[in-house]
Amino acid sequence: MVDVDLADVQGLILRGYTMPVARHIGLTVREAGAARGFLAALAGGDPAVPAVTTAEAWAAKPDCCVNLGITFPGLAALQVPPQVLAGFPTEYAEGAAARAELVGDLGASAPDRWLPWLAGPGPHLLLSLFAQSPEALESTTKTLEQAWLPGWAELGRHDGSALPDNTAHFGYRDGLSQPTIADVPPAGLPDQLPRPPVGEFLLGYPSQHVGFTYPVPEPPQLGTNGSFAAFRVLAQDVDGFVEFLARQASRTGMSEELIAAKLCGRWRNGTPLVLSPDTDSPDPPIPPDALNDFDYVGEYDDEKGYRCPAGSHIRRMYPRGQRVANDSAHLHRIVRRGIPYGPPYDPAHPRDGRERGLLGLFIGVSLHEQFEFLMSQWANDGTFAAGLGRTKDPLLGDHPDGEGSFVIPRPEGQLVLDGFSRFITTRGGAYLFLPSISGIRYLAELAPRP
Amino acid sequence: MSEQPQNQPVQNPLTLVMKAKSPQDYTMLRQTVEHLQALPPEQNPIIAALDKLASVHFARFVFLDPDQLAVITTYDGDFDHYINGFVNELGEVFDGLLAHVADAPPTPVRTHRHEFLEFIRARDLRCVGTFYSAYPTSTVLDILDAVAVPH
Repeated sequence: MVDVDLADVQGLILRGYTMPVARHIGLTVREAGAARGFLAALAGGDPAVPAVTTAEAWAAKPDCCVNLGITFPGLAALQVPPQVLAGFPTEYAEGAAARAELVGDLGASAPDRWLPWLAGPGPHLLLSLFAQSPEALESTTKTLEQAWLPGWAELGRHDGSALPDNTAHFGYRDGLSQPTIADVPPAGLPDQLPRPPVGEFLLGYPSQHVGFTYPVPEPPQLGTNGSFAAFRVLAQDVDGFVEFLARQASRTGMSEELIAAKLCGRWRNGTPLVLSPDTDSPDPPIPPDALNDFDYVGEYDDEKGYRCPAGSHIRRMYPRGQRVANDSAHLHRIVRRGIPYGPPYDPAHPRDGRERGLLGLFIGVSLHEQFEFLMSQWANDGTFAAGLGRTKDPLLGDHPDGEGSFVIPRPEGQLVLDGFSRFITTRGGAYLFLPSISGIRYLAELAPRP
Repeated sequence: MSEQPQNQPVQNPLTLVMKAKSPQDYTMLRQTVEHLQALPPEQNPIIAALDKLASVHFARFVFLDPDQLAVITTYDGDFDHYINGFVNELGEVFDGLLAHVADAPPTPVRTHRHEFLEFIRARDLRCVGTFYSAYPTSTVLDILDAVAVPH
């Protein structure tokens, strides 16, 4: 049992806000002293500026939550001393663009094609706002703008807004699979799976590895209770996806909805295939709070993937009790905070030329062993599990054009869906340190350097 | 960090050669390894761990004259990504061996994972030229799945 000071932890690490609108704003340091002053205000030093939202329980849900992440160049621009910078992990110091190839950001997803505000040197600070209404989002943005202006310049911003029924653009209900972290208030749907330790998501606590705590950047005031996140702008090719489903339905005789379910591991309404392989509306119905309470082995008896393919998106991203290489299925959990951007897809008006996708923060104490591991080992390779070979996550994988392949295991022999391209293109990214409130104060109080 | 090109075998060779600190340590290393390897399979922690991890095709200890211990394995995937599994399962065994090894990294290895990884990386002789595999696309899990006796 560990005791976490929730008032010192940025809220988005440990809880989902379930706000309908969000805005991510990229800033770069204009003048270090004033930039630090803005951080002091965000850490609660100025009643006129909204303070960073913590993980403390709410008496009433706020209109708008504010969180922040800082890139490695951002720490340097704030004049963090070199010996302190040296205590941060290599992958974070190198940054998202340098690590792009590792996570499959190639071709159209490569950093030289990224949105201008995330390409090149990229932002120093990412402000993430989550609000109950567009009005609250605008008014908080205006207040923050006035506060950051002396020290920071805006590089760009990206807005997101929830779609009906919490779906993402491919039509799946989203946000159902989140880790239930030990020793902190439960924030997602309940499950009976092993609870990952808080040290897998916050610096300074025993991790998921026996006898090991991830190195905490010094001094402890800066590092402890912090975390890391990969910010991603992921464009979704809904036209390509819709056409693929129609083509494969016509070829195989399966319904489009069943093909969509097999690709994801859940029916579009969130019903897990392993609990309901034939219909998205089982009788009796699955209670809403049971939608993440399942496994693939033991009493669930789906080792072969006849109900939920081993190569499906959710089974790759968290294989649960399934046997995988190095007994690692429970060792690479991640917190996902995502919201769609762009207009809803209208099947009556396809190919509307509008970009749509997902703004995501993928959070964990080690970018290398969580976000990068998931992308390189489980999303873009298949050798971690029996029978997947070199295949990739059908939804997320960096399939070369026309070379995507997906296996649906069946007792009578496998069915292969192939000939597809990547459905998701990375439009930009950033590797962020999510400092604690104490850490933000440490940065705010750094002594100026010549 | 190494990432494996998709046209390479899924298996990789490890040829880890460690030097004993002294003749006495060489003797101790030899005794430790011979004791472990003489245990019945169900009591041998190395076999139990390798069975559980399911990513090593073959593994053996070889003593090289005059003062070296070699650990030679064929394993799946990227060692960098999977070192934690070995350390989680075999931390104490590695600690025991490293006590007799020259220029050993700090122990316990569970606390000093990064240093242990660097130690292995520096002492892995790999192989000369091409690493041959008769089944370059099959992992341990693929093979176990294929040979599994139906219940």
